[in-house]
Amino acid sequence: MTIILARYENSVLNYILPFVVVAFITACNLSKEVDINLPEYDSQPVVECYLEPGKPFRLLLTRSYGFFDPFGLDSSFFQNVLFQDAVVTISYDGQTDTLYNNFSFDASPLKIFNYTGLNFVPATPGVNYTLNITLPDNGGNITGSTIMLPLIPIDSAVVEFSPDIDTLARVLTYLTDDPATHNYYRRLLNYNSLDSVPEQDFLADDRILTSTKLAFGTGYELSVGDTIYNTVCHITKDYYDYYESVQLAIFGNINPFAQPSPIKSNVRGSANPLGIFTCLVYDRATTVVQK
Amino acid sequence: MQNKISFTLFPNPNLTQIVTEQTHMKNIFLLFFLAGTFCLSAQNTATVTGTLRDAANGETLIGATVEAVGLGKGNVSNEYGFYSLSLPQGSDSVTLRFSYIGFETSFRKVKPEGRIKLDVSLRTADALLEEVVIKANSLEEKMKSTEMSVTTISTKEAKLLPALFGEVDIIKILQLKPGITAGSEGTTGIFVRGGGSDQNLIVLDEAVVYNANHLFGFFSTFNSDAVKDVKVYKGGFPAQYGGRLSSVIDVRMKEGNNQQFSGAGGLGLIASRLTLEGPIQKDKSSFIVSGRRTYADLITRGINNANAGKPDYDPIPDYYFYDLNTKVNFTLSEKDRLYLSGYFGRDVFTFKDETFDFKFDWGNTTGTARWNHVFGPKLFSNTTITFSDYRYRIQNQLQGFYFNLGSNVKDANLKVDFYYQPSNKHTVRFGGNATYHDFVVGRLKAGSDDGEVSFEAGQKFDGTEFGLYANDEWAVTDRFKLSYGGRFSAWRNNPATYFNFEPRVAANFAVTDKWSLKGSYTRMNQYVHLLASSGLSLPTDIWYPSTEGVKPEVSDQVALGTSYLIGGKVLVTWEAWYKWLQNQLDFKDGAELFGNDALEGELTTGRGYAFSPFEIEIEKKDGKLTGWIGYTLAWTRRGNFPDINGGANFPPRFDTRHNLSVVALWELSRRLSVTATWVYTSGYTAWLPGGRFSFQDIPGGQLQPLVPIYGDRNTYRYPAYMRADLGVVWKWWGRHTENDLTLSIYNVTDRRNPYFIYIDFDSVETPVGDAPTRIYAKQVSLFPILPSITWNFKF
Repeated sequence: MTIILARYENSVLNYILPFVVVAFITACNLSKEVDINLPEYDSQPVVECYLEPGKPFRLLLTRSYGFFDPFGLDSSFFQNVLFQDAVVTISYDGQTDTLYNNFSFDASPLKIFNYTGLNFVPATPGVNYTLNITLPDNGGNITGSTIMLPLIPIDSAVVEFSPDIDTLARVLTYLTDDPATHNYYRRLLNYNSLDSVPEQDFLADDRILTSTKLAFGTGYELSVGDTIYNTVCHITKDYYDYYESVQLAIFGNINPFAQPSPIKSNVRGSANPLGIFTCLVYDRATTVVQK
Repeated sequence: MQNKISFTLFPNPNLTQIVTEQTHMKNIFLLFFLAGTFCLSAQNTATVTGTLRDAANGETLIGATVEAVGLGKGNVSNEYGFYSLSLPQGSDSVTLRFSYIGFETSFRKVKPEGRIKLDVSLRTADALLEEVVIKANSLEEKMKSTEMSVTTISTKEAKLLPALFGEVDIIKILQLKPGITAGSEGTTGIFVRGGGSDQNLIVLDEAVVYNANHLFGFFSTFNSDAVKDVKVYKGGFPAQYGGRLSSVIDVRMKEGNNQQFSGAGGLGLIASRLTLEGPIQKDKSSFIVSGRRTYADLITRGINNANAGKPDYDPIPDYYFYDLNTKVNFTLSEKDRLYLSGYFGRDVFTFKDETFDFKFDWGNTTGTARWNHVFGPKLFSNTTITFSDYRYRIQNQLQGFYFNLGSNVKDANLKVDFYYQPSNKHTVRFGGNATYHDFVVGRLKAGSDDGEVSFEAGQKFDGTEFGLYANDEWAVTDRFKLSYGGRFSAWRNNPATYFNFEPRVAANFAVTDKWSLKGSYTRMNQYVHLLASSGLSLPTDIWYPSTEGVKPEVSDQVALGTSYLIGGKVLVTWEAWYKWLQNQLDFKDGAELFGNDALEGELTTGRGYAFSPFEIEIEKKDGKLTGWIGYTLAWTRRGNFPDINGGANFPPRFDTRHNLSVVALWELSRRLSVTATWVYTSGYTAWLPGGRFSFQDIPGGQLQPLVPIYGDRNTYRYPAYMRADLGVVWKWWGRHTENDLTLSIYNVTDRRNPYFIYIDFDSVETPVGDAPTRIYAKQVSLFPILPSITWNFKF
């Protein structure tokens, strides 16, 4: 059922064509490393800011690089990648919070931030937020805006065992969509840990939904005792476009049949930034598979 | 069908062309008037008419020559084998010479009085020579003709050339001609003189084939056993053709042997073929049935069955394709002949496991009913009704849920063509057609079986396309020929109506008997468009009509050239051309094609151009060694798209600077032929990223240490593509059979040509995910050296 809301062309582009081509290429060992010259590129600041209700205002500000620029895994890595000494503020409801250039992190799942505020993000739907960043050394400014969307809760997560192989189960996740508004979703599915690589990660919207119920599902691939983290984010159109462009950029690099996309950021300004400034509203259902 | 009937020429507010079209209308009536004048001025001549055929099987001969010996008068048979030759009335007999390369020349004496009906069957000159003949106009005729930018390939020729997996593909042979590029290795993509892949009008027995590919473009839909020949117009389009901007690819099926029952077939690595043909009534009617099917699925099914139940075994999906061509023809009377032909082909891909029950199938269906009628010695008509249907369906069942997605385009076309020859100096063609198009775009139905969850999307359109044309090919003097005419085309998709005039002019000046100068100008309009998300042809690409928001695509092409005949055996042709393209469609970056009922919002419109100062072909069609050398130096650009590249020009993927191909067919003996092809293409363009950034993502998401940042389109150019193929054909004869073993070696030098390049990285695990340690580019090649062998037989 997952496939229903995934980008439909992916069923062709992701699966069938690579099957034919990759099987052949693999069989014949037809790839080799080559030297190429990529287009000229000027580094840009990159913003990644998710305003999560109940969590501090915080933000990750980094730099982009030329594609072949070396990575450093020593202590210089953070110094090089993290963009320091910027002045960052977020305004909402008539007040402005400053985010200070302090390094912080969440342990599990591990997430890092280099700008953190003193206040916590309120969980009030409909509140508008504005981001302002002034970069040091006349590096220009960055602005962005977003809105806190209401939570769309998961109605149920139902475990069903296969009629053919009774040790294998699937999980169907249902929620109720509001037909009065055009809603965008990001669906994440992690097995056993939120730190794991997601089994499913795709975008969806209700544009062609003709019922009020929406369902996401897994294949019959789960066993008794497996823990399933079902996350459904209610996201803005800006975030939908941004994340889709990130996926297409990654996918376009590795699949000759896919058309890449430039990154569709929702942050603007004289610093020519990339990135996303958005609220993060999600419901998560944790299910342990049991008979 | 309502739109078809209700079409009017009332101007739409968007139309600004109506006034000028009225002027053009006057011109076209003038042309018809002129034709009438010719008729009156030609009363004191005798006319010889008839049909030229192959004596062995009754197939009509296209482009065969008839000449009145000593009178300096001659003509060639048209695409239906019909010819007409006017002679001065007189009492002395005139000797007519009928010739066609590869056939014995035949002489007939006629008394030039009144109307003379003379059907002639030519015998093959030599069994061996026949196999290597390029069944086209003779080189001399080609040099003298006003037609330029034209290429013809016969199946007999294609069968000798080396082929990928031994699967003969006449479309891939076209890619070896100058001005035509493939766009990608191994595929049947056709990009003609800077045009897109959807800008080719591909017709099979006059029915449009919307997707001429199997297996995502690696094979074409044309079974070589069923096809007689293919003629491609790259420019200088005759007025009877319209509807696409860049080329006309006219594929003609065999008619069937009306002399004796026979069969042919072949066993190859990928597919097997069987063709049966014979007379229904000798000399009067015949049939041909030809089928082809791949059999990889039989092997994969066996592997799956052998591994069924193994816990870690992932089943291999089933894939196969098949084609079925049929044709019958009846000689109803001396003046009437009826042809019925059809094509049905499908690709089928299925996959089933615990989760999926997936089926993906796509294919074309075409049908043609054609009636040739000879009104008299000077007037011949062809009335055609065609039907085309292309569709794809994706179906998936997941216990309790279903998913169905499909698109479909259907055409019904009525076309009437008249071929009128008032004198040997004029050949007038006129006629018209009306095509009703029906489009189902992205019909999606999905949901749960209990109806609690449901999705639905899809759009339905129709449109009617009209064409009315007239053209006169006028031998102004012995040395100067002029072909002039035009085509009115119109499109109706309520409420949009478009109405356009397409002038067609071509001229040939014979400087000497061996040297001619040529020029042409053509305008084309295209009312249906292929919305493709990638540079390659996929079955899920969508055909979309012109609407109020999607204007017809327009092209103008001028070409100048010269042909020089060396020793009667080698023709050197040089052409230079420039093509302007308007209203070109492309998707905005990141556009969503599927489940999107607002597709037009994802489109952006721009312009383009392409030009070549140097497109040269050297052809040799006679002797033991035949073949051609083609070279093109060309530039192609697209631009002015508000949503792509900031409106700046960019080269499309198929823009290649140099294209060189060498094709040689060498008959060593009656039994043995050796063929070789060599292709050089300077690199295709690619859109590669300039920068990268790290993306941390939200909780539950995956850290992406390397997100590519794409800037301007197609700034990178792949390394040059170079490939040599070799073929050996060994023949032997049984009591009632003719056999050959065809050995093809694709990419004989085992060169690793670039198929695509991607950026990869080495990494180490860290607490925040995989951290890259080294970034590098990898080139992927598609085909190494690939020998294959095919057994072909005839009985």
